[in-house]
Amino acid sequence: MTETTVVTRSAMVPARGPWRTALADLARDRTAVASLAIFLLIAAICLLAPVYAHDIAHTDPFTSNVSGTTLVNGKTVPVLVPTTTGLGLGVTPIGPTWDIHHYFLGADNQGRDVMARLLYGGRNSLMIGISSALICCVIAALLGMISGYFGGAVDTVLNWFFDVIWAFPVYLLAISLSVVLLTNGLRLGPVSVGAGSLWLPVLIIAAVYVPYVARPVRGQVLALRGREFIHASIGIGGSDARILRRDVLPNVVPTVLVFLPLMTAINMLTESALSFLSVGVQPPNASWGTIINDGLGLLYTRPMVAIAPGFMIVITAVVLNLLGDSVRGALDPKARLRGAG
Amino acid sequence: MKHHRTAAALAGAALLSAIAACGSGGGASGGSSASASGAAGSSAPAAAGYEAAHAGGTLHLVANAAAGTLDPQINYTLQFWQLYQATYDGLLAFQKVNGQASFQVVPDLAAAMPTVTDGGKTYTFKLRSGVEFSNGKPVTTKDVVASFERIFKVSSPTAGTFYNGIVGAGACLKTPATCDLSKGVVADPATDTVVIHLTAPDPEFPYKLAVPHASILPASTPAKDQGTTPIPGTGAYYFASYDPNRALTLKRNPYFKEWSSAAQPQGYPDEITQTFGLTVEDEVTAVENGQADWLFDPPPADRLGEIGTKYASQAHVNTLTAMFYAPMNVNIPPFNNLKAREAVNWAIDRSAMVKIYGGANLASPVCTFLPPGFPGHVDSCDYTAGGGATWSAPDLAKAKQLVKESGTAGQTVGVVVQTDDVNKQLGEYLQSVLNQIGYKAVLKPMSSNIQFTYIQNTSNKVQISISQWYQDYPAASDFLHVLLSCASFHPGSDSSINIAGFCDKGIDAQMDAALKTEQTSVTQANTMWGQIDQAVMKQAPVAPLFTPKLIDFVSSRVGNYEFSKQFYMLVDQLWVK
Amino acid sequence: MTRFVLRRLASTAGVLFTISVLTFLIFFATPGVDPAARIAGRNADPATLAQVRRTFGLDRPLPIRYLLMMDHLLIRHDLTSYVNRGAAVIPQIVQAAPVTLSLVIGAAAIWMLLGVLIGTISAATRGTVADPVMMVAGVVGVSVPTYWLGEVVNLLTQDKWHSGVFSWVPPLGYVSLTANPAQWALHLLFPWLTLAVLYAGIYARVLRGEILEALNEDYVRTARAKGLSERRVLVAHALRCSLIPIVSLFGLDFGALVGGAALLNEVVFGLPGVGLLTYNSLQDLDLPVIMACVLYAAFFVVLANAAVDIVYAAIDPRVRRA
Repeated sequence: MTETTVVTRSAMVPARGPWRTALADLARDRTAVASLAIFLLIAAICLLAPVYAHDIAHTDPFTSNVSGTTLVNGKTVPVLVPTTTGLGLGVTPIGPTWDIHHYFLGADNQGRDVMARLLYGGRNSLMIGISSALICCVIAALLGMISGYFGGAVDTVLNWFFDVIWAFPVYLLAISLSVVLLTNGLRLGPVSVGAGSLWLPVLIIAAVYVPYVARPVRGQVLALRGREFIHASIGIGGSDARILRRDVLPNVVPTVLVFLPLMTAINMLTESALSFLSVGVQPPNASWGTIINDGLGLLYTRPMVAIAPGFMIVITAVVLNLLGDSVRGALDPKARLRGAG
Repeated sequence: MKHHRTAAALAGAALLSAIAACGSGGGASGGSSASASGAAGSSAPAAAGYEAAHAGGTLHLVANAAAGTLDPQINYTLQFWQLYQATYDGLLAFQKVNGQASFQVVPDLAAAMPTVTDGGKTYTFKLRSGVEFSNGKPVTTKDVVASFERIFKVSSPTAGTFYNGIVGAGACLKTPATCDLSKGVVADPATDTVVIHLTAPDPEFPYKLAVPHASILPASTPAKDQGTTPIPGTGAYYFASYDPNRALTLKRNPYFKEWSSAAQPQGYPDEITQTFGLTVEDEVTAVENGQADWLFDPPPADRLGEIGTKYASQAHVNTLTAMFYAPMNVNIPPFNNLKAREAVNWAIDRSAMVKIYGGANLASPVCTFLPPGFPGHVDSCDYTAGGGATWSAPDLAKAKQLVKESGTAGQTVGVVVQTDDVNKQLGEYLQSVLNQIGYKAVLKPMSSNIQFTYIQNTSNKVQISISQWYQDYPAASDFLHVLLSCASFHPGSDSSINIAGFCDKGIDAQMDAALKTEQTSVTQANTMWGQIDQAVMKQAPVAPLFTPKLIDFVSSRVGNYEFSKQFYMLVDQLWVK
Repeated sequence: MTRFVLRRLASTAGVLFTISVLTFLIFFATPGVDPAARIAGRNADPATLAQVRRTFGLDRPLPIRYLLMMDHLLIRHDLTSYVNRGAAVIPQIVQAAPVTLSLVIGAAAIWMLLGVLIGTISAATRGTVADPVMMVAGVVGVSVPTYWLGEVVNLLTQDKWHSGVFSWVPPLGYVSLTANPAQWALHLLFPWLTLAVLYAGIYARVLRGEILEALNEDYVRTARAKGLSERRVLVAHALRCSLIPIVSLFGLDFGALVGGAALLNEVVFGLPGVGLLTYNSLQDLDLPVIMACVLYAAFFVVLANAAVDIVYAAIDPRVRRA
């Protein structure tokens, strides 16, 4: 009896269109709002990295500062402290000072300010995650639509293409491409991407996940293809392009929108894995993955250097996943019936 | 020599390089004269008696990865050369003792040092009798001849550089499959003698006979790379099994009877295993927990502190004559410009690099090509702030000025380094310095397995890189001649050890003169090498960085640690009981 | 049905061939990959280098080299590594496979158990606070970089707390099942848990979604109308149908993992499985081993895909004609 009541009730509310409804649902969902807020907060702080580095911490996070000094509790101390006891081996960077003007989270092996690098790293990680997710989703949507709509030979070839990329173990493909492209950069006709450019990880990660998004889109378009309203459009003489744009695309967009936050999270994690393996973002650029990589060489003495970026990745991925869930819930009419999301 | 791939920095990985044309001391020619290079002819090794109470047990070593083929005539890594000490023997051997005496060559499978005649071109050896391989077969002159021919048949990496002086070697290099050295290595089974004929005198020849590439193997060993199949040897141990993904096992050779404790001493553990696969951090933890006895790879920077304090009694730090340096390609921009190269030398803060490496107790800054304490070394420094004979501080302002004057400011520079932790940190630092003086530096880390050959090949257009060089034995030519002569520069080849591509006819002539002088007066030659060093540094084809020390970290149960300057830690002399 | 199966298998073979060509091309374009100098050793002279090139067939044109490699790998089974010379490639994989299998099967058992439990309980307790808490826990599991988690686990169990709470944790590495089952399990315990954390969350969430959707289906309403208890409805009816998509998801994930997708875990915990083999060969640019590992991994992924498709086709005739 409960379900019927819900249906009746919403049938009595004046229709606002699917997008407005979805947005309203989203606004009402507290998890979604909180997740979005946290994500925007993180993004905002990371975008302010130059301000932090220049005006607050007065440090250049991309220049090594091995022999430098800093102020801790009013005393001048070296940033990399040599061991003086025992055999006197090794040099340890200073730990977190909890002073936002001087090495808040401590220093890394090059004597650089970890907090400043964390913020700059966040900029790069988020940029890479979002751009590659966008590129991936757009290309996957296009290919999925074409493949599902036209069928036949086009579908077979594209499906083959998806199978090959997807069967190639994700990390292997990404590592292989990175190893090859990192030394020489990429040159495709007039387009040239330098070896140290951040576009390389973006493009590689986007390419690797295209089948992940394209297949569901293709499946959905295949199902749509047999529906009456498509037949109707064909019947009245609509061109393929028109049908794709006016009938297929609006149905595909929600699916892709749901993938967007999820892909951002997945791509961020993939980028961090690639940077961990030293085939992602290249020095002196920082990303959360490269800082973890640096931090693993300091795990036994200065664990904060590895823990801070790991923590940031977890939080960002969590809020993105939760946001993705909420978006899916808002866009999927049946979800309202389930009370799920 | 270059070091092995995974053991960045420190010794653990030093590859024995091609021994240069001439060594410093006249060495063992005729086995008579006092040879220099610490091979004090008369110093007897401190031969401690064998302490049977400590024999037994299994020595458990760990290394991050295997080191390639097990074939002693092909493998060129320190990781396995350290184990070959215990498993294979040549006609001669470096003494297996502590300290400076370890540079002295003593008879091994030869009964005595050879008689050298014919102006240094003929070496006559009497084969020791009663020695057996680990398969029970006795060592005969046939095995000696076959082993020398095998060096060429398997295309040993040093076939063309060490052993090309043997009569008949030229033909062997051209057509290895049919190598016939019957004119060069003449065996007389009746008298158990082997006579080696050279085309020209070579004072280095005894040293060349003492390295694993000249091991005497059974004549029945197939003439191709044996890879993971162990070859029987005459040493105190034999290789029982080898799985490059898991472990390498050595067991006591049942047919071994000690004939010379200096050349091939009886070992203590009953079994030695080297396990592969752990990350270096985990290896350190394993040694600390007593789960392993020694790690081959150098400890990561963040463990040095605890090793030096909490585990100080288990850590052994040894001086090496080696250097870390940054070769600059003098044939392509921007470093084809002398001012640019000088700027780099002025700008690098060598004490910062020392810090990155592990602190002043593990490395010292250098400013000359020959490391301090090396024959021929003279204290001088052209690139330190405020002048002086040793390096004290960088001069960034001067470096920036030089870069501006050179007109190369703003150019993109790729810094090629190995991916292991230490080299990567050094590379990041160098990149930062280059950026500060006005370049746009890009760091290109590469797997240690590829980096060394990559930076040698001029087709890769490598502008600057970081590399290491470890000596075989004290010979200034091993540094200067091998690394900076025109003969070592092969454009377009993966094997062009003159990485900087430096070819100066004037300096080449000076080096030839010094090499010639070595045959008569070592001290005079060393003075000449010192002058060549200074002449080279004026041209600054490289930026010498620092000279490293080696750290061996052993578990608490291990005793009797001995360090040979030739092969570093004597593995089979460790006590586990 | 047979035609469908045959078509699927043919397409599998085609995909594998394409991947092998792709791998070969990718690595051939890598600078510094010329193995001749590495094989010949440091400071080898040009004559030695040329000799090595001839012996390894390194001076033949690309397509010939590809065919030679495939011949040695698939027909003669005697392909050897460029780095560990003499070590045949296939035995290396055969030896590494059980390690990866041990890791994956154990982790799979744990994550399926956890996933099904958490997903079911979460669906049953929807509306209460337990539901979102469990879901967030699941999301956190998915969001943690697995290599980072592994390193932290090592730090705690091997170093910081090794003398206290975790003194029973054995050293890193692998002990085979046949040698010592108890040690085998003990050595794999933390790798299992670390790998399972990642997947348990995903499966719990998916299962929960499926169950909730199933709970609105007609047959569930019928069951309720018949008077069955809510718990019985959940477990006996809704859960059963919800497990089908889970099983297909499991098939795909398991296939990928068996092929070596858990390489980061193997690296961090020092397990000599296929993943570590792949990782090492990539670092060394050991082309024969890379080729074999990539084909091995791709084979299982494609096989799993095909198996899932065939099972679905067997169940649902509509799929066969798609």
